[in-house]
Amino acid sequence: MKLNQIRSLLISCLLLLLAAAPVQAELVVVVNARCGVAAMSRNEVINIFFGRNRQFFNGVQAQPVDMVDAHPDRARFYHALVGKDLADINAYWSRQVFSGRQQLPPKMQTSEDVMKWIVSQPGGIGFVELAKADARVRVVYEFKP
Amino acid sequence: MGCGNTSKPGLTNRVFSCLAGALLICFGQYSLADEQPAFTLQGFGTLGAARTTSNEVEFVRDLSQPRGASQTWDARVDSVLGLQANWQINPQLEAVAQLVSRYRYDRTFTPEFSWAYLKYEPSPNLSLRAGRLGTEFFMMSDSRLVGYSFLTVRPPGDFFWSLPFYNIDGADAALTVPLGDHLLRGNLFYGISNGQIPLAKKQWNIDGSVMAGGYLEYHAGAWLLRASYANLRFEHDLPVHDVLQNYMSEPLVTQAAAYLATGNTRSHYYSLGAIYDSGPWQLQLMLNHCDQGSNAFESSDAGYVLAGYRIASVTPFVGYSWASSETRGNALNPVVAAIMADAHVDQKTTMIGARWDLVHNIALKAQWDAIRGEPTSIFPYRQESAGWSGKMDVFSLTMDFVF
Repeated sequence: MKLNQIRSLLISCLLLLLAAAPVQAELVVVVNARCGVAAMSRNEVINIFFGRNRQFFNGVQAQPVDMVDAHPDRARFYHALVGKDLADINAYWSRQVFSGRQQLPPKMQTSEDVMKWIVSQPGGIGFVELAKADARVRVVYEFKP
Repeated sequence: MGCGNTSKPGLTNRVFSCLAGALLICFGQYSLADEQPAFTLQGFGTLGAARTTSNEVEFVRDLSQPRGASQTWDARVDSVLGLQANWQINPQLEAVAQLVSRYRYDRTFTPEFSWAYLKYEPSPNLSLRAGRLGTEFFMMSDSRLVGYSFLTVRPPGDFFWSLPFYNIDGADAALTVPLGDHLLRGNLFYGISNGQIPLAKKQWNIDGSVMAGGYLEYHAGAWLLRASYANLRFEHDLPVHDVLQNYMSEPLVTQAAAYLATGNTRSHYYSLGAIYDSGPWQLQLMLNHCDQGSNAFESSDAGYVLAGYRIASVTPFVGYSWASSETRGNALNPVVAAIMADAHVDQKTTMIGARWDLVHNIALKAQWDAIRGEPTSIFPYRQESAGWSGKMDVFSLTMDFVF
């Protein structure tokens, strides 16, 4: 009896702790729902966001959208995707830009702007929190915990 | 071709100035429609200081620099400032101009247009460029001046010092072909090299030299493999006539000059590279071979390995590089032999350093290069004197930024 009480107390404490912990919403990669892409591999996502490949497998031109450094999702996204810090990502892009190979994708301030961009471009692709991905977009890549 | 040497660079520079001027004027009408500006102005730079432990030679970043660092701190070797304007004319067409100021052949920091080209992309994975452009005939050779983009203070010297060529007036084409989730990319370029290479108190004109080449690279996840080839047909001879006249008389001078001719000779450059870049790790291996057509130069082999590992905002790195050239057995006479000996390199370098990413667009770097070579290894340096032992240490500090 007493043991059971302690156990239930411990369980409720644990549940409380879990609820109070700042759970980070999962980031997902989404595309314009009409672009014809249903799922992508991690390498395919990397190739698109690093500008190495500019086309989806079906030939539609990929139009990636990024976020500003100040938005916490940007650091989380690249850390989850390639395990790199933003300084590494910015160093990569400085080489792309100043060697003349390619320009940076547009950088948005908010997730709402990211969604607007994806919906307005036939090949739009970006990253948002899963909860923000509505019916206008399709989730093509999720980070497995 | 010969008589146009003095007027041609002036004319092309004026054309590029007009183009860049037009870009900058248009920049005034900056538009925020679609949150994708048609004009962007960006820049990069490095403030650097380097010193060595030897006064017997001067250390330079590459052979485009006439003077370099010795036992006192010198800011000329690594300091650079670049400005780039991009104009997206329509989704397929872009105009780009880049102006760079760095210590150059005439001992000034006079800004030059390093790039000024139009880029046309008929399909997303095909890019065609024409104008003045950088060539990647060794991996990363087109971004050698953008310190912020790489780990070390400067691209490993033993690999890059022999490349004073920065751009061509010509065209290139690049095609990317996805193979599953791997990528194959090919590039071909052709153009006319331009520039001056300082040699003692004179300059060797490489304007008009035809350069052609290409590369094939394979991207598989964190791995990038690359093979490249380029060749260069020099247009002009080395400015050695005066030196020859000081030591010998006429029939011999002509004979020696012909023996040392570089005009109309061809150099071939081969390279192989592998890069592994994942999480905190950055690993690079590069090899090159230069096959020189003129008796004035020696064919050479060079390479480097580099490893860096990021810990929070600091990335310590270690590297090892080497360069050696083959002495040509036969020389016409001792004077010619002395001139040919100038083109010799035989050395190895150990590098240790760290990059500290201070904020998201500024990096501080410190590096120690321990150069261990033969006393005959003088091609990479300036102002060498008889006491040169082939061994010295180079200490470098830089602040790299982009904006």
